[in-house]
Amino acid sequence: MGKISFMRLKGSQHLRQRLVLATLSSTPILIDDIRHEETWPGLRPYEVSLLRLIEKLTDDCIVEINETGTKLKYKPGVIIGGKHLVHDCGLSRSIGYFLEPLLLIAIFGKKPLTIRLAGITNDSKDPSVDTFRKVTMPLLKRFGVPPEGLYLKIESRGCPPLGGGEIVLGVPIVPNSLTAVTWIDEGMVQRIRGTTFSTRVHPECEKTMTYTARGIFNRLLPDVHVFGDHRSGPQAGKSPGYGISLFAQTTSGCFISTDTAVSYARVEETDDYDDERKELTPPDEVGEQAASTLLGEIEQGGVVDSTHQGMLFLLCALCPPDVSKVRVGKLSQYGIETLRHIRDFLGVKFVIKPDSATETVLLTCVGCGLKNLSRKLS
Amino acid sequence: NAPSEDEMAKWKEPLIERMISRQNTNLMQIVYGKPGLKPSSSIEEVHGSSEDEESDGDEFFKPKGEINKNLKEGTEVYHVNIEDSSKFINHIKLKNWKDEELIESIRDRFVTGDWSKASRRGQ
Repeated sequence: MGKISFMRLKGSQHLRQRLVLATLSSTPILIDDIRHEETWPGLRPYEVSLLRLIEKLTDDCIVEINETGTKLKYKPGVIIGGKHLVHDCGLSRSIGYFLEPLLLIAIFGKKPLTIRLAGITNDSKDPSVDTFRKVTMPLLKRFGVPPEGLYLKIESRGCPPLGGGEIVLGVPIVPNSLTAVTWIDEGMVQRIRGTTFSTRVHPECEKTMTYTARGIFNRLLPDVHVFGDHRSGPQAGKSPGYGISLFAQTTSGCFISTDTAVSYARVEETDDYDDERKELTPPDEVGEQAASTLLGEIEQGGVVDSTHQGMLFLLCALCPPDVSKVRVGKLSQYGIETLRHIRDFLGVKFVIKPDSATETVLLTCVGCGLKNLSRKLS
Repeated sequence: NAPSEDEMAKWKEPLIERMISRQNTNLMQIVYGKPGLKPSSSIEEVHGSSEDEESDGDEFFKPKGEINKNLKEGTEVYHVNIEDSSKFINHIKLKNWKDEELIESIRDRFVTGDWSKASRRGQ
C-alpha cells in the first residue's frame, strides 16, 4: 500500500460532517487536539460510537485513536450498507445525532441499508426521531433519493438518562447520483402537524402540551393537528419524559420543524452542559415554547428550518455538476460551518446572496458531481 | 412536459457563468473569509495562535484564563471544540407570540394571509 496523505484538521467540532465528507469524498483525515485542554480530554463515548457505526457500514476503513483520544486517524473505506444491522447508540447522545451522518453515508452505499438503532429517541439536544421521519426524510426525496425503502419505525421510545428506545431505519441507495434542485419558493403555511409523546408519565401531559401549542397557532391557522403517542410498558423505555415535535407544511411542500423533549439530566454530564435542571419544565410551557419556536422559524423564512440547513447544503453540494439554488432564513452557525467544510472537502463554494426584500438568503452552487461508486464495485 | 436534459443545461448556462463571475459581498466573506486568504487558513490560524508562539515551557504553565484569551483572538478558535449539534436552540430569544401585533406580522406567511404578497416572495 502506498503512502496515504491525510487531511489535517483540529478540534472536536463538526466531527460528524467531517466524517461524512471524508467518507463520501474518500479523503483520509487526521484530527488533532480533540478537547486536549479540557478536564476530560479526547473523544466522547458518542463520537466513538459513531465511528463504530461507520465501521459497520463500510468495508476496509481504518480508525485509529491515540491513548488519550485527542487524536483520530480515519481512512474511509467502501460504503456497503446491508440488511439487519444493529447498533447501540449509547446514552450520551440521542439517536438523532447518529441519523444525519448515517443517512448521508448510506444513500451512497452498495446495498440498501436496514439498521436497528438502540438508545435515546427524544431529547433536547438533537433532532428527534419524529422530526426525522416527517421532515428530514421528505428533504432527501426532493434530491432524488428513491422513496421506496426509506422509512423509520419507532419500536419503543427512550428518554435520557436511561434510554431504552429502539428504532428501525431503512435507507435506499441512490442509483447513480442525486438531482440538483431549484428550491426558492417557500410557499405559505397551510397546515401544522405534530406529535407529542410521553413515557412513564401521565398521558395528560400530552394533552396539555397540545392544548397550549394550539392556543398559539389557532389565531393564525385552523388546520392544526397534534397526534399523541403515549407509550407504556417496555415500549416506554426506562426513563420518564415527554416532548413535542411540530412541523408546518407549506403550499410549496416545504417543511419547517421544531421539537423538544424534557426529561431528567444525564448523570455523567460534565459542568459545561448547563441544562441540568432539577425540575422538569411543566408541559404547558413546553407546548408554548415549541409553538413559539416554530413561529420564529416560519417568520425568518426559507425552504427549511435552521436545524436542516446543514443537511440541505450538503445535499446541494453532493449533486451532479448542475446548479442548485435554495433559499434559507438566517444562516445558522451550524450551516455556516457546514459551508466551510464543504469547501474544504469537496471544493464546492456557494454563492451566497442576501435577499433584502424578504430578509432571507439565497444560496447557489454547482454540485461536486458525486456518483454512487460503491454500487458499481462488485 | 418536463424539459429534456439538453434544454435544461442550456437554460442554466447563464446562471453558472454569472455565478462564477460575480464576486459576492459580505455574506460570502463572513462564511468563507476574505478572498485573499487560502481556503484552509482558518485551520492554520488556530494552529498558529495556540502552539507556535512560545512553544517552550511557558506555555505549559499558562493560567487557564490567559489561554482562553489567546484563543479568542484567533477568529475561528472559538468553534474548535464546540458541541456538534445541528439542532438550533434559541429559547432565550423567543418572542412572545401571544402578542397580537407580532401575530399580524407573520400573517402573510400563512394561507390565511394575503396571497399576493406571498407569491412575490417566491420570485
